[in-house]
Amino acid sequence: MAVDPGLKEQVEAAIAQNPVLLFMKGTPEAPRCGFSMRVVGILDQLGVDYGAIDVLPALQPLREVTTELFEWQTFPQLYVNGDLVGGCDIIEEMLESGELGELLEVEQPADMQPPEAERILPGGSQTSPPMQLG
Amino acid sequence: MADLAELKSMIEAALPGAEVEVVDEGGGDHLRAIVTAPQFEGVSRIDQHRLVRAAVKARFDDGQIHALSITTRSQPAG
Repeated sequence: MAVDPGLKEQVEAAIAQNPVLLFMKGTPEAPRCGFSMRVVGILDQLGVDYGAIDVLPALQPLREVTTELFEWQTFPQLYVNGDLVGGCDIIEEMLESGELGELLEVEQPADMQPPEAERILPGGSQTSPPMQLG
Repeated sequence: MADLAELKSMIEAALPGAEVEVVDEGGGDHLRAIVTAPQFEGVSRIDQHRLVRAAVKARFDDGQIHALSITTRSQPAG
């Protein structure tokens, strides 16, 4: 698989520079995928500072890079302190068990539930992502 | 359309002793695998998911499945 070496470097740098980084479809303000939206909702509710990268402008090349680096090809992907924690499934499981709050070093409200996937903006105009790759 | 029984046996073959359930959560392309396996003990969640995905990789590669949600549990004690 021909991974774009420049893109791979950008991904590694972004992960190294952001203690909490979310690769997602769309932006935190305008998520374009229900799973990405759910992870954004969780991070926002926890009040965590995080970087976000919209993968849609370079979806396939980014898949190739994350597959090579982390054996993971679906988005969203949440990285904490340089490690891939997981996608929506894992984040929601960790929220339910309380592990997510521990990992992110924030107080996790006891009654917090994963948000429902109802707020996706269908085909809305795309705002510029917080960070651009590729 | 994915063959749920085949997916189940692929996961069981990759993780001997595992308890596996594969369910269709709607439309034949939203699948969920619920896997309890002794191999998960002491393994991070992301690696547990990697093990399950690796077991069914061939069905992702040939396009029979697009999305597989995974729930993993390590073997209950006792």
